[in-house]
Amino acid sequence: MDRASFLVLILCAALAACSAPRPAIVVGSKNFTEQVILGEIVAAQIERRLGVPVERKLNLGGTLLAHEALRSGAIDLYPEYTGTALTQILRRPIERDAETVRRAVADGYRPWHIAWLAPLGFNDTFAMVVLAARAREHGVHTLSDAARQSWKLGVGYEFTQRPDGLKGLVATYGLRLDGDPVTMDLGLLYAALRTNAIDMAAANATDGMLGRDEFLVLDDDRHYFPPYECAIALRDDTAQRFPGLEAALRALSGKIDDAAMRRMNAQVDVEHRAPAEVAREFVQGLE
Amino acid sequence: MLAGIDLTLERGETLVLLGASGVGKTTLLRMTNRLVEPSAGEIRFDGKPLRDWDPIALRRRMGYVIQDGGLFPHLSVARNVGLVPELEGWPAQRIAARVDELLDRVGLEPAQYRARRPRELSGGEKQRVGIARALAADPPVLLLDEPFAALDPVTRFEMQRQFRALQQALDKTVLFVTHDLREALALGTRIALLAHGRIDTLGTPREFRAARSAQALAFLRTLEEQAA
Amino acid sequence: MNGWDELARLSLEHFALVGAALAIALALGLPLAVLLTRHARARRATLAAVNVVQTIPSLALFGVLLPIPLIGGVGKRSAIVVLALYALLPIMRNAVVAIVGVDRGVRDSALAMGMTPRQILRRVEIPLALPTILAGIRIATVATIGTATIAAAIGGGGLGTYIFRGIATADLSTVLAGAVPAALMAIVMDEVMEWTERRFSY
Repeated sequence: MDRASFLVLILCAALAACSAPRPAIVVGSKNFTEQVILGEIVAAQIERRLGVPVERKLNLGGTLLAHEALRSGAIDLYPEYTGTALTQILRRPIERDAETVRRAVADGYRPWHIAWLAPLGFNDTFAMVVLAARAREHGVHTLSDAARQSWKLGVGYEFTQRPDGLKGLVATYGLRLDGDPVTMDLGLLYAALRTNAIDMAAANATDGMLGRDEFLVLDDDRHYFPPYECAIALRDDTAQRFPGLEAALRALSGKIDDAAMRRMNAQVDVEHRAPAEVAREFVQGLE
Repeated sequence: MLAGIDLTLERGETLVLLGASGVGKTTLLRMTNRLVEPSAGEIRFDGKPLRDWDPIALRRRMGYVIQDGGLFPHLSVARNVGLVPELEGWPAQRIAARVDELLDRVGLEPAQYRARRPRELSGGEKQRVGIARALAADPPVLLLDEPFAALDPVTRFEMQRQFRALQQALDKTVLFVTHDLREALALGTRIALLAHGRIDTLGTPREFRAARSAQALAFLRTLEEQAA
Repeated sequence: MNGWDELARLSLEHFALVGAALAIALALGLPLAVLLTRHARARRATLAAVNVVQTIPSLALFGVLLPIPLIGGVGKRSAIVVLALYALLPIMRNAVVAIVGVDRGVRDSALAMGMTPRQILRRVEIPLALPTILAGIRIATVATIGTATIAAAIGGGGLGTYIFRGIATADLSTVLAGAVPAALMAIVMDEVMEWTERRFSY
């Protein structure tokens, strides 16, 4: 290779090395609408308050995947639910009291040097959803009522395996299933209910679709499901590296209640708006 | 391409269509069984214009042999030979007997060759099977398109000899296409030399040897060269 | 892990998805292919169209079909429709190429023998094209077994259920519980079909 080409090659390599800055903060999320919106909200908040570049690693394929990413440092923070962390990540028995769960989770995460910030303000518990019309028809309002008949159940990828999932539900309520549960992407559950591919769905309490009269959430009258308060799990070392970070994130605590989360979910799922846009609007409204 | 062809084939004769490559001899042959339709003019068979014949019925009356044999690779020799009788609905026993008879006639031991596949045969053997197949339903006419051109000289000579024997034994009307004068002189009762889309010379082998047209002389010269 | 009966159930489900999809693709694709061998212009256009379907990523095609009534929606039906669409190309392309590619001399002889077009199709074109057609079916089968794993995302069931579940719970053994049987199924079917091809070769 002649000298000119060699110099050009060196120059390019140097430029390439310079132009790939390590993003300051990596925000993660799991792979359903609510998580993506929250990820965008957190990212937008950080960008507004701290002005540091944020890399988004959203749509990670599952709870344990996201947790691994956080533990290994591939992401610096992500929104998680207290009940999920307790049963799925820490593998501890279910607790019913929200405060107890919060404390147990904070303690459980300490060895990993990850902190749980104060909850955002909503409880995204599992919601067993049916078509409102069918609920009226059979006079079913609670999960205890539901035990009277058998149900074709639709679930996401995690429900059947989770300790706070199907098994415990069946045990607590004596729920009878018509055939094996039908597994599908969470986003499809409501479409499946509408077309009668399933007649009960293990969905989430803050789903956008639940704003409509079409669907009814059966009441968890025996309080089987633990609380699932949403909060940000943040690595200690990241908090140390960016002094203003915790404060910026705490500004979000208590700011999103069930109705607000459901509304934002609906804006994406029903109105088909972009999560980033919905997130930006929310963050701007905070001022 | 062909223009002004005026030809009559007598029953029982072997007419050789001779000519250089591309002159149209194959095309003319394929007009006889309506594989090709002429743009003008009329061809008659048995007194009826070809146009009035059902193509299927017409083709069943004419055996057809091409250069590579055209044997069906997925069928045995016996099933290849028995194809047209099968199409004609002959009973199985009659077909089997006919197949053996024909294989014998073309010099292939039936017991040995009946179950073989075409891919197991040599060039000469394939051509023999092809001829047997063409004769199977006993058609009055045989059409052969340079059947021996792909064979080596020794095999070709042998095949020509066999064909002559067959001609004498059977009473078929044959239209034979070749570009080899030697073959034409050996096998034809008459030779039609095609050149520039017309018939240049038409006559018996003896008459042909005496021909004086430029084309005929060109072909005749090839005999001399080889003799020397 | 939930044990052998779930594995058996999901494997059977997977097999059924693949079987149904292939049956549809064959029922539609083979007659269509034969038709196309008679019409050169339609042939190019149709094969190009089927080719375009193939270039759409399978997950996207599943998604596109979701809102469509009757053949779409959540569940086995739309999964089978998508899988059948994907199986069409290898089956049709092989069938067309094989039939059109039958040796000219053989086709010529068949014609000269006084065979009707239907007889030529039945006795010459299809038997000679068969090994290549079977190869196309083999390719389609193996590919469909793989693509069918995505059916789990839209409620179609099958071994993909394990794969998605394993990813969501970061559990490699569950992922393998789905991936390994699927791979085995593909290998076995490949062998079986290859044996079949050999039986029909000449």
